[in-house]
Amino acid sequence: MTVGTHARRARVRVTGAASVAVRPVLEAQRRPARVLAVFPQGVYLEVRTDLEPSVIAVITGEAVRLPNSVLLAAHLPPVTVGDDASVGDRVIELGPLTLGVRRWWDPAPPLGPLDAATLAGAAALLDDPPNPGLAGNGTVGLLASSCADGWLLGAVTAAEQLVGLGPGLTPSGDDVLAGLLVTLRHLGTATGAERAVRLAGWLAATVTYDARTRTTPISATLLHCAAHGAASPEVTAVLRGLAGRQALRPALRRLHRLGHTSGSDLAHGIAIGVTAILALSGTQPPEPNATVDLESREPNATIGLESPERTTMSGAPATASGGMP
Amino acid sequence: MTPRPRAALLDAPPHVITVGAGLLDEALRAQAVRTTTVDWRPPLPGTAEALATVLADPRRQAANERAVGRLLSARPHLAGVRRASEVLPAGTFLHAGPPITWERASGPMRGALVGAMLLEGLAGDEREAGDRLAAGAVELAPCHEHAAVGPMAGVVSPSMWLFEVNDAEHGGTAYCSLNEGLGKVLRYGAYGPQVLERLRWMDEVLGPALAAALERTGPIDLRALMAQALQMGDELHNRNRAATSLLLRVLAPALVETASEHAASVLRFIDGNDHFFLNAGMAAAKVSADAARDEPGSSLVVAMARNGTDFGVQVSGLGGRWFTGPAGVPDGLYLGSYGPADANPDIGDSTITETSGLGGFAMAAAPAIVRFVGGEVGDAVRATRSMYEITLAEHPAYQIPGLGFRGTPVGIDVALVARTGLLPVVNTGIAGRVAGTGQVGAGLVKPPVEAFTSALLTLAQSVSDQF
Amino acid sequence: MSDTPAAVVVRRGAYHDSVALMRVSRALSDLPGVEAAMVAMATELNVTILRELGFTVPEAGPGDLLVAVRAHDPGAAVEEAERRLATAHRPQAAAQEQPPLTTRSAAAAVDAGLVLVSTPGEYAFLEAYDAVEAGLPVMIFSDGVPVERERQLKELAETRDVLVMGPDCGTAVIAGAGLGFANVLTPGPAGVVAASGTGAQQVTCLLDRAGVGVSHVLGVGGRDLSAEVGGLSTMRALRMLDDDPATELIVLVSKPPAPEVARAVRELPLRTPVVPAMLREGGPDLTEAAEQALRLLGRSVPEWPSWPAWHRARPSAERITGVYSGGTLATEAALITGSRDIVDYGDDAYTRGRAHPMIDPTLRVEALAGAAETDVVLMDVVLGHGADPDPAASLAHAVARTPATVVVALIGTDGDPQDLHRQAAAFREAGAAVFTSNAQAARHARSLL
Repeated sequence: MTVGTHARRARVRVTGAASVAVRPVLEAQRRPARVLAVFPQGVYLEVRTDLEPSVIAVITGEAVRLPNSVLLAAHLPPVTVGDDASVGDRVIELGPLTLGVRRWWDPAPPLGPLDAATLAGAAALLDDPPNPGLAGNGTVGLLASSCADGWLLGAVTAAEQLVGLGPGLTPSGDDVLAGLLVTLRHLGTATGAERAVRLAGWLAATVTYDARTRTTPISATLLHCAAHGAASPEVTAVLRGLAGRQALRPALRRLHRLGHTSGSDLAHGIAIGVTAILALSGTQPPEPNATVDLESREPNATIGLESPERTTMSGAPATASGGMP
Repeated sequence: MTPRPRAALLDAPPHVITVGAGLLDEALRAQAVRTTTVDWRPPLPGTAEALATVLADPRRQAANERAVGRLLSARPHLAGVRRASEVLPAGTFLHAGPPITWERASGPMRGALVGAMLLEGLAGDEREAGDRLAAGAVELAPCHEHAAVGPMAGVVSPSMWLFEVNDAEHGGTAYCSLNEGLGKVLRYGAYGPQVLERLRWMDEVLGPALAAALERTGPIDLRALMAQALQMGDELHNRNRAATSLLLRVLAPALVETASEHAASVLRFIDGNDHFFLNAGMAAAKVSADAARDEPGSSLVVAMARNGTDFGVQVSGLGGRWFTGPAGVPDGLYLGSYGPADANPDIGDSTITETSGLGGFAMAAAPAIVRFVGGEVGDAVRATRSMYEITLAEHPAYQIPGLGFRGTPVGIDVALVARTGLLPVVNTGIAGRVAGTGQVGAGLVKPPVEAFTSALLTLAQSVSDQF
Repeated sequence: MSDTPAAVVVRRGAYHDSVALMRVSRALSDLPGVEAAMVAMATELNVTILRELGFTVPEAGPGDLLVAVRAHDPGAAVEEAERRLATAHRPQAAAQEQPPLTTRSAAAAVDAGLVLVSTPGEYAFLEAYDAVEAGLPVMIFSDGVPVERERQLKELAETRDVLVMGPDCGTAVIAGAGLGFANVLTPGPAGVVAASGTGAQQVTCLLDRAGVGVSHVLGVGGRDLSAEVGGLSTMRALRMLDDDPATELIVLVSKPPAPEVARAVRELPLRTPVVPAMLREGGPDLTEAAEQALRLLGRSVPEWPSWPAWHRARPSAERITGVYSGGTLATEAALITGSRDIVDYGDDAYTRGRAHPMIDPTLRVEALAGAAETDVVLMDVVLGHGADPDPAASLAHAVARTPATVVVALIGTDGDPQDLHRQAAAFREAGAAVFTSNAQAARHARSLL
């Protein structure tokens, strides 16, 4: 086996820090992996496993701390796409490096209790992220209005259509969904908006169900992470800002700077989530037009959200309880 | 230093400044935690307790901020020139550095004093001048104690002319003699006939001509002029070529208008002396540093000066007290066949430039200086960078283009000197050891550690007395 | 003394930290032809040691570096020492860059969030003061800072709204990052405020073993809860953890506080439950405190792993001696066993001018060698960041050779770089009984008498 050959060469032991999201994969039995993509500050590894995250980002320097990443306290090794690697038994073997973890970070830190009025006050700043990849897209509009109305079928339908929609490694549709998922999960929990948290559960089940076949491997992994509330620090900082725990404007600016449109798309998803939480918890949302359709929806769909087992969804809300394992 | 807004410590693993055991820094790096490592050394021997006392003095931080704030905000203007007889107390000669007696005076200091006696007609010859000085016929006082500074021997006698510089911000005034040029000159201890002849011409022609011209121009903003000169490659201690040119440009029309008879000779004299501006710059530095004086609790150095025997410093929080150590022999390049054996220990008040963030502290602005004091361009940059470690501020107007227009390091803190063991970098000329020789070279000199440590210990004592 | 030629060279004013010097000394001693080597600052203690080793030491002060070797070619050994010292840990700076020489200038140059001070104690105040003055929280690993200075620092910190951890703060964990001697912990709901580093390590390692993660460990220094210091850092740390959304429960590890300080701490309005872990006669031990925290968090208490000795203890055991590196663990052992022969080699008296026993095993190896056949030696082996990368390498050998019966309290987590299971196996192989709970180790030792 190729991996075996690697192991016989002189290996360099290095250390780093890892997101606890990758812990199950890292601590499982060793699995073969392959280099999926190489960037100046990061290498994506695809691991042959049924566990998630199945893609692990080995990063260095100032690269974005994706929720599936392991931060190397050394330079990246010279590897190319397609190279063999392995993950498991507490180490990552990549090129000549054997990487062990010396620090764990939580990509889904709790926000603590928050009252909806505070959230409503902060929400106005979320308007108009610059250059969202799906500006004016009807499906995104449907997602937003369905979430705000608590119309489960609409939200799930829109989400299914958005998975993998758009160009790039992380398509815009996935970024919007990821932003929405972590927002519903964390700010929903923080404000005690149970309906929002349940909505997160349903959406999480929907987008992770067949993500591996619907979008790029890295984006699928990030959707799995978002389903558990795990995100990069740029997203977490905006959630914290919305919760009044840090300055929101600079956090938003940092988020907007991510990727081509990723940051704006994530911010778009966050905005949809906040509007939904405020609407579902009965607090006046900041933008009246966001709730224009509220009255015209069928009431029974809203009830369906309260008790998901009565809806006609296929697949169970596997991650409805939320939180990291 | 203004405190940063509080970062939320618990939100994310912090960027850690580590100081001390390298092992703990390595352990953090192994966790991919960003660290910045302080290259720490124990402070100068015997200062640890005094440093803790001075650092913990509740007055210190605000006192230093006020003191250095005044040093930075001073707006020196060249207001005119005056004959020293108008400023000096009768029967007194001024000299550079901390107080000194004839007995302890070095060769060049003695030479300059003898020259002044001859110039003033107080002695017929060299021997008589020496005898009368030894007998105390003239009172000797440091320039610094009369709001003045003087380069090298810094001797000022009544018939010499002085630049007068006013601080438009704080209202102070400082004086400095007129520069005679290089080579055989009084300030390097020469007193031959050509030296005295030049001094007489300066008294009779140069002084009055400059007085009239400056009256015509009105006060000249030296802060702006010096800022510009730094950007033109001067460091304003050992290189004043740009500043001299800038000053000449302002003075020339006024000289022509007010002293047409002598304009050409005056302009030629200034043009022939690249250091003509030095003395005006020193007065500007002096008036700025004086603004920072007398702030109780402040550890800011407000004067560094040498008399050829002792190197002395004064500290804002300690009034007019001098703290001294033996003056060192500069290390540098020598003129002609002179060598280190011919060199006198360090002399002059020109270290007022370093005191106010110029000279050695601004070396990075003047890469050409390395041809003059030895070393390489990298040394000049390193010298300036290292001085940020012992200074309290960066000058808002005096900037260094090569360092991204960073302000020069300004405001030496005796506590930081003791903590880092890093002594101020001083550029200087080298005087001949034997009276009458003149300049023998130029280079860098290391101030004596004890001047700074004794100032620190006294400051610590004053804190203990306070509480 | 030996006939091998010796040399002692003084390098005036050359400073290196004690760990760097220990590493060079060790590397030098391992060279062929070198009989003895010690590279150390010329502190009183080190000079005495060198004289005892038979070296003639020239006049030198604590600011000077001594290179002492006895070797076939002492000149070459000294050269090797200098070469290694030159490459010892130094900030990497470009040719014309100026590394910061003080905390003050470092704080002005970078946007840092915390300062870690580990200079010799007499200078630690200066660097810590810089940090607080710049508005930065600081952890002072160094000990030997006078209590008045500690008070001054903490009063200044109140005005700047920052936390001072220490002096003598051996352990902290901030959002997963271990500072000083800390273990690799999983993020989780338990926060710790600790006046004792090894006490915090014992508690967090047990929690980690029970599957409960740790949000933060904020050290405060051993004297913080004294009347002189007034618990300023403890109260600030408690408020910070109370305000931290990740923290659901706080364990407060300390010695019994001064009564008026205890009152002030009790009166703090906190929403988060606080479990005290205070060692005192008849009180709960650290393991019991960790167990109480687990119950409050609704978790079950597991069996704490231990590995019995391969051989039964000698029946002749007469007394328990302690060879500890952690002060609080030593105190706990003394409380449980009642023995007066528990020595804390991490105390000031043993660490002046030399590295901590968690890094430098020399003194403990000597103590094991000197133990009697009738002794039960109780010792701690603390794993984690900053600690000896392989304590078994030196200590297990000493355990195997000592005539005494040895009981080891192995403090660490599965994530620690030293590999807890390999360490446990090595000590067990050497004949020791190994426990992950120090209290259980102490009770076991008592049962052997």
